[in-house]
Amino acid sequence: MNKLLRINFPLYIGVFFVAILLFVCIFGPMLAPHSLTTTLEVEYKDGKVVAPPLTPFESLDYPLGTDKWGYDLLSMILNGLRYTVFIAVAVTIIKMLFGTIIGMYIGTWRKVPSFIVAFENAWSYVPLFLILYFFLTPINYATLLEPNTLVASFIIIASMISIPSIVSSIRQKTGEIKQLAYIEAAKTLGAKRNRLIWNHIFPQLKESLLVMFILEIVYVITIMGQLALVNIFIGGTIVRYDPLIYLSVTKELSGLVGQARGNVYGNTHILIVPLIILLFTTIAFSMLASGLKNKFQSDYQRTPWIKTGHEPKMYPKRKQYDNAGKFYQLSPNQLAFLALSITFVAAGCYVYFTNESNIGVKQESHATYDLSLDMNNSGAFTASGDLEIKNLSNDDWDSIVLYQLKGISGAEIDRITINKKEVDYVVSEETIKIKLPEEMKSKGKHQISMSYSFNLPEEGKTLLAEGGTLRLTEWYPKAAVYQAGEWKIGEEIEGINTHYTNFSDFGISYQLPEGYSIASSADKDAASGQSSGNLKMKDVREFSIVLLKDMEVIEKQAREGVGLRLFSGSGDEDHLERTWQLANRALQFFQEEVGEYPFKQLDIILDQPSTQSYPGIITMAVNKEDDKAFDYELVQMIAQQYFKAAIASDPYNHAWISEGMSAFAASLYLKIAENQSESQAFAVPIAQMKKIEIEGLRSQRANVPLDELIDIGFISGQPALQINQMVNEHFHLQGYEVNEVSSKYLADFYKQYQFSEVDTKEYIQFTSSYFSVPRGSFNNWLSTKASR
Amino acid sequence: MARFVQQMVIIFFLIIFLAALPIMITINPEENSIEWTFQYVPEAIGNFIIQLSQGSLGTYQVGYQERPIADDIGDNFMTSLTIMIVGVNAGLILSLIFGIFISRFRMTKVFNFVMNILSAIPDFILIVFAMLFAIKFYKWTGIRIISLRPDAGAMNTWFPTMLIGMAPALYMFKLISVKYYQTGGEDYIRTAVAKGMKLNYINFHHVFKNIEPFIHAELVKVISLAIGNLFIIEYILNVQGITKFIFQSFEVQAMAVGLFAMLLISFIVYVSVRILFYLFKRGFIHE
Repeated sequence: MNKLLRINFPLYIGVFFVAILLFVCIFGPMLAPHSLTTTLEVEYKDGKVVAPPLTPFESLDYPLGTDKWGYDLLSMILNGLRYTVFIAVAVTIIKMLFGTIIGMYIGTWRKVPSFIVAFENAWSYVPLFLILYFFLTPINYATLLEPNTLVASFIIIASMISIPSIVSSIRQKTGEIKQLAYIEAAKTLGAKRNRLIWNHIFPQLKESLLVMFILEIVYVITIMGQLALVNIFIGGTIVRYDPLIYLSVTKELSGLVGQARGNVYGNTHILIVPLIILLFTTIAFSMLASGLKNKFQSDYQRTPWIKTGHEPKMYPKRKQYDNAGKFYQLSPNQLAFLALSITFVAAGCYVYFTNESNIGVKQESHATYDLSLDMNNSGAFTASGDLEIKNLSNDDWDSIVLYQLKGISGAEIDRITINKKEVDYVVSEETIKIKLPEEMKSKGKHQISMSYSFNLPEEGKTLLAEGGTLRLTEWYPKAAVYQAGEWKIGEEIEGINTHYTNFSDFGISYQLPEGYSIASSADKDAASGQSSGNLKMKDVREFSIVLLKDMEVIEKQAREGVGLRLFSGSGDEDHLERTWQLANRALQFFQEEVGEYPFKQLDIILDQPSTQSYPGIITMAVNKEDDKAFDYELVQMIAQQYFKAAIASDPYNHAWISEGMSAFAASLYLKIAENQSESQAFAVPIAQMKKIEIEGLRSQRANVPLDELIDIGFISGQPALQINQMVNEHFHLQGYEVNEVSSKYLADFYKQYQFSEVDTKEYIQFTSSYFSVPRGSFNNWLSTKASR
Repeated sequence: MARFVQQMVIIFFLIIFLAALPIMITINPEENSIEWTFQYVPEAIGNFIIQLSQGSLGTYQVGYQERPIADDIGDNFMTSLTIMIVGVNAGLILSLIFGIFISRFRMTKVFNFVMNILSAIPDFILIVFAMLFAIKFYKWTGIRIISLRPDAGAMNTWFPTMLIGMAPALYMFKLISVKYYQTGGEDYIRTAVAKGMKLNYINFHHVFKNIEPFIHAELVKVISLAIGNLFIIEYILNVQGITKFIFQSFEVQAMAVGLFAMLLISFIVYVSVRILFYLFKRGFIHE
């Protein structure tokens, strides 16, 4: 029993807890079950109303409950903890570094100037948090500054103002050590100040510095907590009036405590949950510090002669010098530490690799393609495709659905094997449905091999004869998207691509006859003129190929090294140059205002049968009569590279997301970059809505399935105007100026959902929390009961 | 004395600087950056000093009303002062008694253990938990132990006083127990033990006397801890104290007066602790 008591429990528990904390700091956002904008919506479940705030352990989806507005507490904590710990550590590192060095040097002076002492004393009269309060009050409430700026200024100010107290205590400790005999001896032997400090004094201080370091981390967290109680949250405070509430931008833990302060009277869990986590954080560091202190104390302390009641229970551990150097002889402590580190790394790897993004709509299937394409001189293709389709859902699949090959003539499928077994398949107008044999239904991964052949479509004849361009539309079997228990296949609508696909990885090898080349969605196309090659692309929704022969091309580098190419067969060089300039300006605007362009290359092909945007490729229809409409369409297509190619959405049920967002973005370009007035910039959306009004059509919401849609304006012009109106009404919550907030809104939306999928529900969640509007405010243009 | 003057001067400027900070730092809305503007500072400080030299503390804004600070500060000052003096002194006495004089008994070990655990928890968490507990306690038993009404008298002040006392008690307890343990290993203690002196006698005459300088050295820090908590506690428990002048207005005048009042309180508390120690020594150690 005595032996048990002698174990340094605080040290072991502290190390373990701190390891957990660090793990959550690094991997927390990946572990979070919900995104920060997801809210619990009121629903009936088994005859009960489930409504926020949920208490902890009430629902499996929200293990720690939700706050009053339905945000998940666990997710907020997992996202916020890293701020708390990293800010505390950063402040401590800075102040300890400067404080220790300054303190040691001042401590070795013969006489400490009285003004330094006076300053230290004066400084220690005023509580540090008060100084920070005065610094942060003028800047913290406005949400104009980026959270990072505010965090950085907190780190700098907090460490600066706490340096004097560190200097003071290090100075005193140094002064004590300086009196010792061995320092005297070193001096006699000729040691100068630097040697004294670094070889004689610092080693003595090392251990107490370590303890001090960890205690100071706790102290910084304390200061953050005190500030939070007076509504200064690190990283910015959002103030909402009527009713007056304060919200933390970063969801940093003490901020969560501070913003839930009003909950002492009711719904106490909203306050208690973050408070307990914060308590755990501080206790973890305190335990570690006191464990280390116990260890050092038992190693170095003299035993008192009287009974004090404060005796440590541990025995001192002496260094075993004769065992040094044998690295393979690990002590139990070292073994335990090694095991902890290995667990840490292994768990980290596990979380990292099995991490499913919690942003956007949950993905339940994923496809990887390995395709090959062979064309002969007469325009006949032989092709093969190896698809790997992963089942990420919890269901067993009965079948796998691929989209039928299209827009090419004489397509013929030789055979399809799945997992190297020939299987039955049903070919319909739209799809190829592969029945899975019983034993394969529960498999998580399916290998589909398919070989097929096809010919160039009718339009391709001119390409063969005179040269030109031809986009191969559905030249490979695309995997459909599995979602919520079914394969999502929309009905075909004339002229609109309704194939719903998700981000996939592609590898393609192709062989064309002499004189042909291709432009594709890949980041790096072979130089024009080359007729064979291998292409690779990750995370694109589809892989488009355009066959080229004898085309005029402008190829230049746009901003950030994006290759912007323009293909035309018309020979109108002025038009070509003008179009390139416009595309470049628009692309540059989006790069600056919205975010990084998702691909490395953008190919714009003029004089095509229709205007469409595919990943990395834009086809523009001939439209020379009206330059303005052409320009608008081009800008909108470039915007679709962001809001359609890089953010997935169901083109059948939620087509308005890509159309509407890109229309809004295009109008914004005209408004900001081309300095047009609002009515000019939004001329196209306004005209679309005017047309609807003139035709006397009944109103329709933007998220109708395409087969019910009566006019394209409802999914393009309508959302653009509505979004614009919403920004105009609520921009003051995010900044001073409408234009700035509009582009910031697009940028934040793009940043949040890049390479994930958005549906109407996600959109409403994001936007309603962005502008603090209720869901009801979308009712006039979106059906809020929209099914996924 | 020179050092004292130096300190006063530094503190004066520090407080003026702090009170002026809110008018010095602004956000530049065009570049979204932090900007320092010093142009209003001399005027504000000048006004402050002029007001003082005219024997007035100036005015502050309460809602739409402008009131002279001097009319209101008396009560608020006394409230804060009482809370501080009682809290800090009680905390120190507790930590001394339990840290040195009765720490060797088995019974007090439990108490010491609790103190050790509590001292690992930051004060503000203790404060929030104490509030939660008080409210829960009322819900369970119907007995009201705190009141958030500013005019509730003793009901409004005893709980804050207890919370104020907590931080000094915990901090000092930790310090004293470490020092006690260290002092216990000194040679003069061995001599005293060898001479056959009683433990109580050694505690008073050898241990306490040698720990006292450390306590004095840490006194400023303890008081500043307590002042820090005073701000939090007055703010969230709705006590009408001097922090009202600091948190409720953004005027240089009110904030500077509030800060100076705070300083005066620390000073008075410091003196009171020194007097307490003096009396303690006169009474028990017969110096």
